[in-house]
Amino acid sequence: MDRIAFKGVTKSFGPVTALRPINLDIAAGEFVTLLGPSGSGKSTLLNIAAGHLAPSSGQVLIGDRDVTALPARRRNIGMVFQSYALFPHLNVYENVAYGLRARRVAGKETARRVEEALSIVQLDGYGPRAVRELSGGQQQRVALARALVIEPDALLLDEPLGALDRQLRKHVQLEIRRLHQRLGRTMIYVTHDQEEALVMSDRIAIMRDGGIEQIGTAPELYRQPSNTFVAGFLGESNLIEGRIERILGGFAELATDELGISIRGVAGAGLATGAPAAALIRPEALTLSPEATPRLPARIEEVVYLGDILSIRLRLASRQDIWCRRFAGKSDLPSGTVTLGWSEQDVRILPIAPPGNPRPQSN
Amino acid sequence: MSLARKITLHALVAAVLAFLVLPILAVIPASLNSASFIRLPPSALSLRWYGAFFQDGEWTSSLLTSAKVAAIATGLSLFLGTAAALGLRRIEGAWRRILSGFFLAPLIVPAIVTAIALYYVSRPLGLVGTTIGLALGHALLCLPFVVVNVGVSLAGLDPILLRAAEGLGASPFRIFRTVTVPSILPGLVGGAIFAAITSFDEVVISIFLAGIEAKTLPVKMWETIRVEFTPVAAVAATLLIGLTLVFFLTLHATLLRSRRPKAA
Repeated sequence: MDRIAFKGVTKSFGPVTALRPINLDIAAGEFVTLLGPSGSGKSTLLNIAAGHLAPSSGQVLIGDRDVTALPARRRNIGMVFQSYALFPHLNVYENVAYGLRARRVAGKETARRVEEALSIVQLDGYGPRAVRELSGGQQQRVALARALVIEPDALLLDEPLGALDRQLRKHVQLEIRRLHQRLGRTMIYVTHDQEEALVMSDRIAIMRDGGIEQIGTAPELYRQPSNTFVAGFLGESNLIEGRIERILGGFAELATDELGISIRGVAGAGLATGAPAAALIRPEALTLSPEATPRLPARIEEVVYLGDILSIRLRLASRQDIWCRRFAGKSDLPSGTVTLGWSEQDVRILPIAPPGNPRPQSN
Repeated sequence: MSLARKITLHALVAAVLAFLVLPILAVIPASLNSASFIRLPPSALSLRWYGAFFQDGEWTSSLLTSAKVAAIATGLSLFLGTAAALGLRRIEGAWRRILSGFFLAPLIVPAIVTAIALYYVSRPLGLVGTTIGLALGHALLCLPFVVVNVGVSLAGLDPILLRAAEGLGASPFRIFRTVTVPSILPGLVGGAIFAAITSFDEVVISIFLAGIEAKTLPVKMWETIRVEFTPVAAVAATLLIGLTLVFFLTLHATLLRSRRPKAA
């Protein structure tokens, strides 16, 4: 178990920049998720950590060792792939034993450690089975056991649950989290699924266009997103755009021309008076009551029943749609035109993230 | 389909098959003839000419030469062809196409051209009339079959598996031995069998490169049939058919075995 640090790591494929300079410190025993849409560079960063890709510049440290030039086979890092990458011609036991055989671990020791690893992933007695006889979830656990048995300094997981169905995914998420808590290994987890990130991570790094937009704990990212991209990517969000009128005492006021009101909220970093910005109001922070201030009329367009909660779509005078959430069955739902209310403390004024490039280009 | 059409169709298929196979199979009864020259149908069945074949030192030594040449040519083309296929996999774009064409050229270049070229090169080197000279020439013809067969197998090998093995600490040679080879085994077996059949059947290059000391079975057959019309040549042909059949059955068994796991 060791810390992993990326120091100014970049990667270009010909003229295409896949990673802008990345500085990221992952503490020993920490579970960090790289969360981002496809093409954001998260898998590239993971493969650089594993040694399957060489960075164009920068350094990768494991513990205090600079491993930038070290081939993957010398890094002692466990990796789990989305496609599991189990060896089809070997049975479960031989798949798990592969890394030990490569390390010339003695036969008895190998047998003991393979059995231990299989028991960690609750596959005791599955050793003689052929890999293809196992279900997707079981194959994933074999892949996990194979990566853990070598006692890696860090475990890298590249969308390992992508091929599983929803029900199983939830189950394995919790299993991986428990495993992390029990073994305390440094883990980097790559996914585009925000729910996975929220369930498992100590910290989440939101990636976009080859760079890290923000890194923090789940509550930090949810409550204090650094810009509109992060706000939109993690959780559901209502973003009302406007122009900064005033910044004072940690609060900012946003003028919205189309709605004709100004919205006051907690000021994020990087705001400037007169610059475009957006107000973030989470769906659960909105109330539908006539006496709330400031007053913002909206018409209820749609009510979606989600079991314990209701998700309500409202249309503002600017024709923008706003989502609101409330517990189902709490009280009667008003209909027609209502007035939206919120508390200033629950509103954040954020800089607008520049429009993303689907394919990051060279500088 | 009406009965008449069905009968016509079946008859047509049977006729085509007969046209393809019967002339080849004709050597089997011919080899079992007791008379002193090839005649169909045989006047009386006998294993007389099989005895003659195995008692004649020239025939048996040519069979042995063929076996040696085929073994060396197969081994050599398997080694070089696998290396070539692995190398081709690693390069991209135009160079891959150009080099692939280069490795497949022996299939396209007329055998007689290759034979004359080899003869010119082999003569000053003293390779004409030697087993090794024949084997080198055959290896050239066998190479494309190995490159193609192994290449197809390699295309089915998921590169993620190689990464996984490397990440687990395996050296490049260990990865090759424990992941690559098991995955491309059907291609290796297929390539080897095609190579062996090609070498056993080869006659054009062999005629140029053969000598008194080293003469393959097809060359001996060709020489014999020109001076005498005895059923011994038919015996040799029957043995060749038998060998080819054994090789093909082996190939089929291998391919069936390699496909079964995927279906399950």
